Formats: sequence, structure tokens, C-alpha cells
Amino acid sequence: MHGPVNEVIQFIDLNAVTIIFLFLVGFVGGLVSGFIGSGGAFVLTPAMMSLGVPGTVAVASNMCHKFPKALVGAIKRYKYGQVDVKLGLIMGVFAEIGVQLGIVLQRHILDLWGQAGSNLYVSLVFVFVLVVVGSFVMRDAVKMKNAVGNEGSSTNLAKRIQNIELWPMMTFKTANLRISVWFLIPVALATGMLAATIAVGGFIGVPGLMYIIGATSIVASATELVIAFVMGLGGTLIWAYYGTVDIRLTLLILAGSLFGVQLGAIGTTYVKEYMIKYVMATIMLIVAVSRFFAIPKYLNALQVTSLSDLSVNIMTQISFGVMCLALLTGASIILVSLFKARSLEQTVTVQG
Amino acid sequence: MRQQNSKSSAGPAVDHDTVAGDDFFAPIQDPAPFILVVTRNGHMAEVVMNYAVNVADRLKYKILAVHINTLPFFCDGGRRSGLFAAAMQESAQLFRQKAGSRGVVVECLAESGKVGKVVQRLCHSEKRIEFVVVDKGIRMEEVAAKAPVPVFSVIYSQAGADHLPKVNPYTTIQKGEISMSTTSKKRHVKNCIVFGALTAGLYAAVFTNQDIVMTYFTKGGVYSLLPVAVVFAVSYFHGNFTSAFWSALGIEGSKATVSKPAEIRPAVANTVDVRRDTRPRAQVNV
Repeated sequence: MHGPVNEVIQFIDLNAVTIIFLFLVGFVGGLVSGFIGSGGAFVLTPAMMSLGVPGTVAVASNMCHKFPKALVGAIKRYKYGQVDVKLGLIMGVFAEIGVQLGIVLQRHILDLWGQAGSNLYVSLVFVFVLVVVGSFVMRDAVKMKNAVGNEGSSTNLAKRIQNIELWPMMTFKTANLRISVWFLIPVALATGMLAATIAVGGFIGVPGLMYIIGATSIVASATELVIAFVMGLGGTLIWAYYGTVDIRLTLLILAGSLFGVQLGAIGTTYVKEYMIKYVMATIMLIVAVSRFFAIPKYLNALQVTSLSDLSVNIMTQISFGVMCLALLTGASIILVSLFKARSLEQTVTVQG
Repeated sequence: MRQQNSKSSAGPAVDHDTVAGDDFFAPIQDPAPFILVVTRNGHMAEVVMNYAVNVADRLKYKILAVHINTLPFFCDGGRRSGLFAAAMQESAQLFRQKAGSRGVVVECLAESGKVGKVVQRLCHSEKRIEFVVVDKGIRMEEVAAKAPVPVFSVIYSQAGADHLPKVNPYTTIQKGEISMSTTSKKRHVKNCIVFGALTAGLYAAVFTNQDIVMTYFTKGGVYSLLPVAVVFAVSYFHGNFTSAFWSALGIEGSKATVSKPAEIRPAVANTVDVRRDTRPRAQVNV
């Protein structure tokens, strides 16, 4: 009955501070994922890891909280007409295959290098993906903001790919595009693999949907929630099979994140398209810095480097502080733009 | 005279003058004919009542006030019908008071069904209805198409209703009976409380039995369905709770964007473009 992973994992004790911290982090994570569509888990995995939760349990509990949150967010955004269910389900199925590949890889690393190796691997993937994709999205967001009328979100690459007639072609009505399934598969697989590794596939999924497949950022972020649901469910079943899900952590995060995801989804109805990209890129880049400072700790544990305990401690503190900054920056941009747009709309309604 | 501030507009098939002119109605029959006043709301607008009373007083007519419940089978366990009946009682009482002070007879009637059909049936069964006055919320065309007599509506605006008492005359009665429907905000608050309680119960159950839960939920194998089932339950209860929570606070999606799709872009063709036929051809004029 016991999974093989059970011997190496420990579950942490919960106290009031931990509970409040998880609730708040959950809320902000939910707010972000309701808005930009991708897990918000990039914030939650490190947050749990800074509380001393082992990487595997953090990723598993995270994934278990992700799919109900994605479900709630997707339903909310479906009501706003932003979700392409067909696109989401098809990509979700292939992303699920990607998740399986990712889990095999992750378990292989855990067996090979133990907990510290697994943590190091997660952090390295984090930094790499966040920096590369984050800077690309940021560049696009700035370009879009400066462009007249905020048009032209679908790139030349997406247009060229849509023109390739390769059987089987599929039409997606809400996303308003027609594309060969062969181009959906690699994006979905990459999304799934990343999701299995760091519990957030959205950093490949949303930019993939926007720049390769050619959906708008609103539809892309909403559809990503469907993908997240499908692969989150599958991924959770696998992690739970090995007994790595800490349901208490999951429920605490969920308590906050469902408040957040509703508010984030509401936020998307008020803001302009580039805001989603802008918020996404800002958070990605700040979190990348945070994870960069966490790497020495794991390198020390693996005895690759021999830094003094003091400097490792300082770096861990910095990592934690920067992550909090990322959280607060993302959340405040979303909240400020939501309430600004909302009061503007109300003023217009009263006057008109 | 409140009637001065209310404008009466003629129905499609009505000559205004003939109705307003006293001569047309000179030979008053006995018993006195009726003015049919129709509403589909629980409370008839006071402007409509005042207009009807004034005209009836001047023409020496009687008033037949009909409240039509257009949704008798509304599936809320008869709640709406109950509220409708209660509201109708209040409305009828007020109407009788207004008419009584002017010596006009008011008969009140509760009906259900389609407005047009009810009016048609009444006009044929009563046979003494001279014209119909409809309240706000009823389309003129709907009644005019069925009624064998002229139909009027009383148009009133907020500006025109300025002189009306601003104090709600029904302050002693429950709000639900006034508005005839529970406000959407009230519904959100109710949902918020119900789902909030359910969520709290679920969380309490898990956290008070932490040890047992953690033992079984991390066993793996078939037990992996336990955490999945729990989070599904949470997503339903807590999801509904949080949704109702923000709505109850008045934070909802932008109305400007909710009704229209995310972005309008040129439609994508479902099929491959038909290739242009470039073969040479001759044209012959016969």
C-alpha cells in the first residue's frame, strides 16, 4: 500500500502562522492564476518549500489544489465567454501525456539524487523558464502597450502556422482560429512536462497559445485554466497514488485561492489585453530572481559548493523576501487596475 | 390633480379625441360601464390608479382593477404566487382608498395567464368595458391585438412622479412583498451564508480529525481517491461561496465586456479558399 516515496517524505506540523501564511499566499496565487491563467503555483511551490515542506510534497499538494481552482476559474471565465472549451480539452489530453513524462523524470531524479537534488532541479527549471519566457512576454507587453489601438496580438509565426494545411485541421470558434492538431501537440506536451516538474504549465501554455497557436491573451489565459484542470486532475491522481498529497496544505491554500481566482477572473473583464501579459511577465521575472537566490542552499546540500551557513541563510532570506515582493507586486497591479477600471465604468454609467 | 402630470398616450387603433370627449360617452347606460385597469405587477403604479380614478370620476364609470399573475407556475414552490397575492391585497386596498374618497366604485380581480387573453376574455364576459388602461410592464401591442376596445397606457417618468409621496407607503410590510421578487443581492447573501456554512463544516471535519485524515489520505493506492473527492467537494461548496461572496460585495464582471465576446476578429473560413479558375473562356452575346 505504501508508495516507495513515503520513506523519504516528512509532513510538517501546522501552526497559526503557517495557516494564515498559506491562506494569504493561496489568495494571491489564486488572484494571479484567475487573471493570467497559469497556476499561480510558481508562487505556492516555493512558498511551501520556504516553510520546510519537501519539494515533492509541495509540488503534489500544489497540483491537488490546482485543478479545483482551475475548475472554478474556468467556470467563472466561461460565463464571461472567454474560454474555448474544445481547445482546452484537446490540449489538456496531450498535456496529460506530458505530465506523465514529467512525473517519470521527476521520480527518476528523486531516486538518483534524493530530496536536495530534486529541489535543485525544480529551482533550476524555474529560473530558466521564468527568465526566458518572462522576458519575451514582457517585451511583447511593452510593445503592445505602445502600439496604437492595442491590436495585432497574434504574431506572424502564429499566422504562418495557421496557414499550413496539415490533416487533421480543427476550427475553434471562441478562440476564432483554425489550425492543424499537429501544432497543438508540442505546445501541450511542453505544458504538461513543465507542469509535472514545477506544478505550473501555464508559463509554457499561455505564451504557447498566444504566440504559436495565435489566441488572444484573454482567451489564452482562460483556456489555460481548462488545460490546467485536465492535467491537474490526472497529475493529482498519480501523486496521490504515491501518497505524497498533504490534504491539509491543499485545503488551506484552496481556502484562500478560490477567493482569489474569482476576483482574478472578474479582473480580466475590466482590463486591456496587454495588462495580462504585463502582469504575467512582471511576476515571472521577480520570482526568477527569488529562485536564483535559493539555488546555493541546494548546491551546498549536495556538497557541490561549500558556502558558509551564514551566507546560505542570508540568501535564503533574500529569496523569500523577493518572492513576497513578486506576490505583492502582481496582486497590487491586478487589484489596482481592477478597481480603477471599475470606478471608471461606474462614473461613466452615472454620467451617461 | 396628479393626472395633469401624467400624459396619456393613445393605443395604435385609438382616436384620442373620441375617448377624451365627453359627448361620446353622453348616454351613460345603467349599470355604469367599466374602465378595465390591468397590471401584471404586484403593485399597480399609483400614477395609473390616479389617472383611472380621475377619468372614472369624470365619466361616472366604475373601475375594474385586474392583477394578472403572468407566471402562475413559476417554479419556486408557489413563493412568487404567494408574494403576488399579498402585494395585490395591498394594492387593491390602496386603490379602494383612492377611489372611495372620490366616490368611484372599484372592483378588484385576480387573474392568471397571458395578459392579452385575460383582457379579451374579460371584455367579452363583462361586455360593459369601455376602454382599457394598462400599467407599466405590459406591452400595448399585446393587449391592443386582443382587446375589442381602446387601450391606453399611462406614461410617467421620475420627473413626473416628483410630487408623489417619496416615502414608501408600505413601510410596515416586508420588503419582499413590495418588490415582488427578492433582490439579486439578497440572493447572493443567502447563497453566501448557505455555502459558507457548508464549506466551514467540511473544513472543520477535516481539521478536527487531522490524524485519521492524514493516515488514510497518504496511504496511496485506492485511497488516492479520497483527497481528490474532498477537493472536488471543496471546489463546489467553496467555489460557490466565494462567487456569492464577491457578488454580495457588489464586485462583479464588467458589464461592458461580459455581454460581448473577448475580442472581435475577422472570421476564419471553415474550408480552404476556392482556387480561382484561370482558364481562358469565350463570351458570346446571343
